[in-house]
Amino acid sequence: MSGAGLEKPQLITHVQQSLNYTVFECKWVPCSARLLCLGSVPRGTGVIQLYELQSGRLSLLREIEKAKPIKCGTFGATSLQQRYLATGDFGGNLNIWNLEAPEIPVYSVKGHKEIINSIDGVGGLGIGEGAPEIVTGSRDGTVKVWDPRQKDTPVANMEPVQGESKRDCWTVAFGNAYNQEERVVCAGYDNGDIKLFDLKNMSLRWETNIKNGVCSVEFDRKDINMNKLVATSLEGKFHVFDMRTQHPTKGFASISEKAHKSTMWQVRHLPQNRDIFITSGGAGSLHLWKYEYPAQRSKKDSEGVEMGVAGSVSLLQNVTLSTQPISSLDWSPDKRGLCVCSAFDQTVRVLIVTKLSKI
Amino acid sequence: MSDQPVSSLWDQGTTKTYQIPINHLDYKFIEKCSDVKHLEKILRILRSGEEGYYPDLTLFCEKRIECLAPGSRALRKDKPPASASDFTTEEWEKINDEMKSWVTEMKEVDYKIQFPVTETLHERLDNLPAVRGSNSCLHGGQNKENKQRKKKNIPRDYREWDKFDVEKECSKVDEVYEENNSKACFNISSNLPVIEKKIETTGMTKKERNFIASHEKEKGNEAFAIGDYKEAVTYYTRSISVLPTVAAYNNRAQAEIKLQNWHNAFQDCEKVLDLEPGNVKALMRRATVHKYLQNYQAAIEDLAKVLHVEPENAIAKKNLSDIEQKLKDLEPVSETHTKGKRILIQDIEESDGDEERGGNGEEHESGSGNKKTGVLLGGKIATKSEMGNVQKKFSSKGDGCKSETQKQSEYTESRVKKDISEKKTIEHLPDHEGEVNGYLNGKKKNESNDVKKETSSSHGTESSSAGKSISNLLPPTAAKLKSEGNELFKNGQFGEAVLRYSEAIENVINLGVQSRDDLSILYSNRAACYLKEGNCSDCIQDCNRALELHPFSLKPLLRRAMAYESMERYRQAYVDYKMVLQIDSGIQAANDSINRITRTLIDQDGPSWREKLPPIPVVPVSAQLHKWDGGSLTSETKRKKIADFNGDRQSEMNSEKMEENFRTLKDEGNEFVKKGKYKEALMKYNECMKLNSKECAIYTNRALCYLKLYQYEEAKQDCDHVLQIEDSVKAFYRRALAYKGLQNYQASVDDLSKVLIIDPNVAEAKRELQEITQLLNLKNDVGASSQQKQRKKIKIQEVNEGNEEERQTSTSEDAVLNYQVAKGGAENSLPLKISEKLLISEPSNAYEFGQIINAVNAKKDEAACADLLTIIDPKKLPMLLSNKLEGDTILIFMQALECHLLGKDPGLVYQHLLYLSKVERFTAVLTLLSKNEKEQVQQLFDSLSKKQNHQFSLEDLESLKRVYEL
Repeated sequence: MSGAGLEKPQLITHVQQSLNYTVFECKWVPCSARLLCLGSVPRGTGVIQLYELQSGRLSLLREIEKAKPIKCGTFGATSLQQRYLATGDFGGNLNIWNLEAPEIPVYSVKGHKEIINSIDGVGGLGIGEGAPEIVTGSRDGTVKVWDPRQKDTPVANMEPVQGESKRDCWTVAFGNAYNQEERVVCAGYDNGDIKLFDLKNMSLRWETNIKNGVCSVEFDRKDINMNKLVATSLEGKFHVFDMRTQHPTKGFASISEKAHKSTMWQVRHLPQNRDIFITSGGAGSLHLWKYEYPAQRSKKDSEGVEMGVAGSVSLLQNVTLSTQPISSLDWSPDKRGLCVCSAFDQTVRVLIVTKLSKI
Repeated sequence: MSDQPVSSLWDQGTTKTYQIPINHLDYKFIEKCSDVKHLEKILRILRSGEEGYYPDLTLFCEKRIECLAPGSRALRKDKPPASASDFTTEEWEKINDEMKSWVTEMKEVDYKIQFPVTETLHERLDNLPAVRGSNSCLHGGQNKENKQRKKKNIPRDYREWDKFDVEKECSKVDEVYEENNSKACFNISSNLPVIEKKIETTGMTKKERNFIASHEKEKGNEAFAIGDYKEAVTYYTRSISVLPTVAAYNNRAQAEIKLQNWHNAFQDCEKVLDLEPGNVKALMRRATVHKYLQNYQAAIEDLAKVLHVEPENAIAKKNLSDIEQKLKDLEPVSETHTKGKRILIQDIEESDGDEERGGNGEEHESGSGNKKTGVLLGGKIATKSEMGNVQKKFSSKGDGCKSETQKQSEYTESRVKKDISEKKTIEHLPDHEGEVNGYLNGKKKNESNDVKKETSSSHGTESSSAGKSISNLLPPTAAKLKSEGNELFKNGQFGEAVLRYSEAIENVINLGVQSRDDLSILYSNRAACYLKEGNCSDCIQDCNRALELHPFSLKPLLRRAMAYESMERYRQAYVDYKMVLQIDSGIQAANDSINRITRTLIDQDGPSWREKLPPIPVVPVSAQLHKWDGGSLTSETKRKKIADFNGDRQSEMNSEKMEENFRTLKDEGNEFVKKGKYKEALMKYNECMKLNSKECAIYTNRALCYLKLYQYEEAKQDCDHVLQIEDSVKAFYRRALAYKGLQNYQASVDDLSKVLIIDPNVAEAKRELQEITQLLNLKNDVGASSQQKQRKKIKIQEVNEGNEEERQTSTSEDAVLNYQVAKGGAENSLPLKISEKLLISEPSNAYEFGQIINAVNAKKDEAACADLLTIIDPKKLPMLLSNKLEGDTILIFMQALECHLLGKDPGLVYQHLLYLSKVERFTAVLTLLSKNEKEQVQQLFDSLSKKQNHQFSLEDLESLKRVYEL
């Protein structure tokens, strides 16, 4: 490797662990060196495995089996002291588990008629002001916001009007939770729709279509005045929206970049630097990106209305880990550059990304 | 012989895919071509191999593209992840080591985070904004006409009304508490993003604060990076509100500079320098601020400091020369002046070097020893530091030989003067100072500001003008000398410091000021200087004097111990260290030294080394530090207890040794528990048991280990053992957990209820009880429950454990919970009252208030009650008391008000009485008061009417009296 090459961040596979089931999501347990793998075992039940990173290997701490395959999970709405895991499963159930006592869920609701594809939380872990809330997006076309303090019914329900076709919601994300009132939910659908729901005003704030199914959306940070939104799509493109300036007709400025030859499964921003994010691709590849802001983030259009200006993205590094899609990825909130990803080759990998602090 | 035939030969067709002429696949063409798109196509063809395989050409093409467009997508190749071979050995090792240390660190943190699941967490959950307007529906269709936007203000549903607490809601309104319920906010919303400047941190653990603070700081950094300085300042402020850190202050200073808020930036720099003197970034930033405020002199000083630490700092150099240039431009008039200043700067540099070194050495060597000096110096205001510099100038004279001749002559001159003046006695001291200052004055007339101050203070007439808020009973001259001495000491100029201190001491003695404590401190400080100089005998003498004046004070003892140790008089040193530990068992240096000396003494004197020791004086309880809530006391008594046990069977010598062994083993065990290494801890405890099988604490601790290792049967046995001897809450609680693990839920419930009978305030027991009852029901319902229950880990028991260790090892950081202290009383025979001084902090809610009131009532501690009443706002009384008002509470309030507050603040007393009458159930409780009690109230009113002031009139009082039915 040349000297210049070493200045770039490198991705290293730190640990690799084969599993005997399909893993859909992997997550770090906040403030620990432990991680969770959520998935489905061949006999059709769900499984949660808790691993601990120990001197260069993953040791299984406990395995919990549940009735339905588990699709997704989040720690976003729990306190650092409790660290309860919220999961969505194939049966449309939202459950919150105390991992210390996982027999009975702390909270359980049959939230959707079909599989919950995506889940996100805010208001916990010191990230996001206001009440802890969980949002779920499901194949039944609805996006629902839940408050763990309210049983059985969602606090907000976003569904297509009667008579309209229901689209499969693939991804949801919270954002804009910079004070106790403001909060938005962004949802991506299989037809390429991206909708931004304002929870404060209970209104649809913005929508757009990126022509291909939206696999993953994420705000660069949930707990600041909306800054950037990245959406990845089925045919390997991703779009970065500058969310600071909304034009009444044009909406948010964006750039798109084609990186992977196949589906872009997920995007995750580095928790320690919002302008760096990683995308995972259908062909087992990971791309590390950096967003660069334009000199002026907004300008006046011909009528004198403020509109945003998109910046540019540059590729910092790319690697191919597997031949199978990498379905999920999670940065460690505690250690810069540490991340875990799971692929459909039934393997979970802990990766180290070097030199992130120098960018 | 030209290229022509060759090219024509090649000119035969195009490639299959892009129809590019074949002759474009050529070094020459590629070298000349600057059309990136075209080149990319060529590269693709070359890579595909459809026209043949040309690795060299491919590489060449790649390089060409990279040269033209480094960001081209065609250059992206599938790469495997980096591996060890991509790094140098050191880099690879560094990466792996970092991971390793992070993993170990996380494990410890992870363990710690588990235990503070306390009441406060639930309080915090209660403080959250209300649940969003329930079940609001939002239809997000593509068709805009069809869109139904629900913007209604949905009324509360019935369930919520059930829980509606009018009192609470009203008080919220009173506090202008922004109820951030989404429903309420539709109307008040404004377009401006409002970010709270403070983060509510009640009930957060240290780790959480850390996490949030760094998270907020990162947000600030990001905002800063894109030039949004206002937002950056907000986030830094938030970070600081959670946990003040040097980095956050420093970054905020930089952001404020960008916003040109010089004053704020300056204050932040000062904060940083307070927290971490010599912080280069802060100095740089302060210099910038000074520069813009045209305070060039100060800027130069700061930059000089920077340059001393980092001589190669280019920015500092540049700024310095800039400012010097400006200074010259500004003041071309006074040539001599600038010259004088020049010299000053250089001197500062030198003395700063000393400061750095001396400061470091100090920090290393005497750890906590010199907090006081640190505080004194830290508290100095900016103008004073200039004076300090002038002083420093003298002290650094010795090494000023490299200067020009002129300078040197100045030096010698002044030195002579000083030498003379030093010989003078105290009566002449003001003169001496005056002379020196006069000399300075002559040299730098223009710097009159600072010098004037100095002169005035040295004459002892207007001591305050020197900005000396150090505030002690010392006469101004002595105080000044002392602070100079401190400064010198900090700079590492111990000899000079000794002289200052000596002068101060003489001054104090001559004036006959009755301040033994201060004199003691002076001696103690001089002792520190002697110690640093290696003059141990003088150090010991001074320590002796200091201790005569103020027996059992920590620092002189510690210093004497060190001096003895370095003189190899280990026995005396041992005795002193022991005394230090009696006063404050938390001093690590003393603990270490004790161990070291013990070893040496055993080598020297053999097993009976203790016999040769001089007797160790017993430190009176009053001199011991109580900040550990009885921690030190407990360990004392424990040790005594153990000694008693062993004394029956073995000789005194042996028992002492055993006790030592026992203690270390136990401590090690506790340490292991803390780290989560239960097996190791178990082994240690087992060894402990061999030494002494009667100590209950060991059994309780071992039970915990067993619990953690899922060996419930053994855990149960240990608890049984303890419970045979005494009714320990902890043992009951742990047995309950063990029963739970053994799935004997009924027994578990029984034990938990016992815990709650003994102490109804153990929240975790309550919660555990709830959970187990639930499990019990589940078991009954389903019949067969899953086996995983056995592996249930319970966070809560660690709460207990943590606190226990605090008590045992007395290295606690967090406050010991009240009930723990109470429990401690059961275990220890020593009365804990002395140590258990009620710490009154402002209660934020009715629950906390209730806890404090209970504690106050239980002890009839009027003083504590008075403290409580002073810190709370009378207006909050109705909220805090809610419906918990009792006759006892009124009574103790009356007593506290009358005995403690009436003299100080009758207005406050009136306010309290007024708002007390507005408390729920007040009239009911009033009617229940006995005649005696009523008389007491009457008495209070009588005395209050005598103390009448402007805050309330007699009429007010009369009407209030009627409310009190008098």
